[in-house]
Amino acid sequence: MTNEDESKEIIKNIFFEVFSNLDKNDFSWEKEQKDYENWDSFAQLNLITFAEAKFNISLTLEESIEIKSANDLLKTVERHLA
Amino acid sequence: MNLIDFLRKSVENYGDKVAIIENDKKITFYQLHEEVKKFSNNLDVLNQEEIISLISENSISFIIAYLGIINSGKIVHLISPDISEINLFTQLKSSKSKNIICNQLMKNKISNFNSIKATIFDIEEILFKKNNKKIKFDTNEHAYLIYTSGTTSEPKGVIISHSMIEFTTKNIVKVLDYSNSDTDLLPLPLNHSFGLGCLHTSLYVGSTLVLLKNASNLEEILESLKKYKITTLAAIPATLTKILNFENEKIEDYFSQIRLIITNSTAIPKKTVIQFKEILKKGNLATYYGLTEASRSTFMIFDKNNHREESVGKCSPNVEIKIVNKEKNNLKLGDIYIKGENVIKKYWNNIEANKNIFENWLKTGDTGYFDEEGYLFLNGRSDEIINVGGEKVTPNEIEQTIKNIPGIDDVVAFGIKHEIFGQTIKLNVIKSKNSDIDKAQILSYCMKNLEKFKIPSKIDFVKNIPKTDYGKVKRFMLK
Repeated sequence: MTNEDESKEIIKNIFFEVFSNLDKNDFSWEKEQKDYENWDSFAQLNLITFAEAKFNISLTLEESIEIKSANDLLKTVERHLA
Repeated sequence: MNLIDFLRKSVENYGDKVAIIENDKKITFYQLHEEVKKFSNNLDVLNQEEIISLISENSISFIIAYLGIINSGKIVHLISPDISEINLFTQLKSSKSKNIICNQLMKNKISNFNSIKATIFDIEEILFKKNNKKIKFDTNEHAYLIYTSGTTSEPKGVIISHSMIEFTTKNIVKVLDYSNSDTDLLPLPLNHSFGLGCLHTSLYVGSTLVLLKNASNLEEILESLKKYKITTLAAIPATLTKILNFENEKIEDYFSQIRLIITNSTAIPKKTVIQFKEILKKGNLATYYGLTEASRSTFMIFDKNNHREESVGKCSPNVEIKIVNKEKNNLKLGDIYIKGENVIKKYWNNIEANKNIFENWLKTGDTGYFDEEGYLFLNGRSDEIINVGGEKVTPNEIEQTIKNIPGIDDVVAFGIKHEIFGQTIKLNVIKSKNSDIDKAQILSYCMKNLEKFKIPSKIDFVKNIPKTDYGKVKRFMLK
């Protein structure tokens, strides 16, 4: 498994933890915040907190606000790990 | 005048007008009233019950069920769809509710809660049941019950009467000028006092209410402003602050026809207020201060000539507020007390909490002061409650949950400043000797056992927690 694969797996799991009703088939890297019924500002905070804990990084407020899909979170995490 | 009279009045005056819009669904005042009556009749199996719990996201079905239960002379116990099993158990026990009405998705979720013994009814089944019985209903002094966090870990039941609703709604209409020519956008949950107040106002004046499910979908909020020719928007400060990240020109265009944005008293950044004062060419941003126990106790309209961007405004008509301090001076910082017809007489089955109400004065737990012209400024909470984006969280509840995790010796939860939410929760954790627990494991446990607004945003592992000789945490030393 490459580092990127590992990051992807972790982020995918974060999404399943935060959105407990999310079906495995409904997960998509491109699926946007507006297409999730439960992605409100608290869920956004939970996603960021999980990512910070799992990758031992700290996101700025601006970075946090910009995240609107799993792909956005992946890119932000990769930028911090690079 | 009770809440159902609000609807009847609008049926008489604007029966064919659209009352509620939800996505592509619309319902007129007349149709809404018919559905409400039908729902009440279909509750005949629950005729003996005084309280019925209702769990649902924003929808027309929710509003029919809410009004239907009230119309049948019962009390609606409103519950957030995000509720945890332990909290649901506590609320049902305290309220003595034995029946829950919710949608199919929630029914599936609650069915997995082993501790919940209540009978669960599907909202749609009740809606579409055929029942020709005509039942005569009793009237009830009370309309709904909401549980709010207390200073202890036990949530407090706040029971709201029809007369409180009437008093508060008339104040909202009087101060903020709502009328039947408004179209109101509501992206706030209807299981909370803020959202409910907006619904009551629309029913009372006969305006059209556009319901959204998700306050975080900013694009949907902005598009809805145009699509439905919205004149008023209700939004929490966090939503307004995030909207400011869009291009200024775009925001000004979207808000060009808005006459009012109403927000609530969770610390709204001064910068957000100033920017919205510029954006709103034909209207104003307004806020209010209130608790579920004392809804809309002040109002503040941030007009261009008033530069008190950090105030929550003046007392609502016929509401009194006093500041209790050593100096006996309203202009000095002290505890905020409220008195008026918007204030509860007592909590629901909670003798301890009732000690906060004395001679009709409610001790709010908030601190603040007035300026010389009678504008109220909030300072914080006199107790330990953490206010996460308007949701009140008791540290004790979080600490008790975390202490159940193996490998943790001690923990303290407290509020830290957050630019968007006002406050979020931080944990300082002492690990047991040889424990290899990490932050992600703690968060996973929290996700399974707490509502999402109670999930900590920061966790530190520490060697000690400052405590007094009596073992009480010295909270002022936490960071």
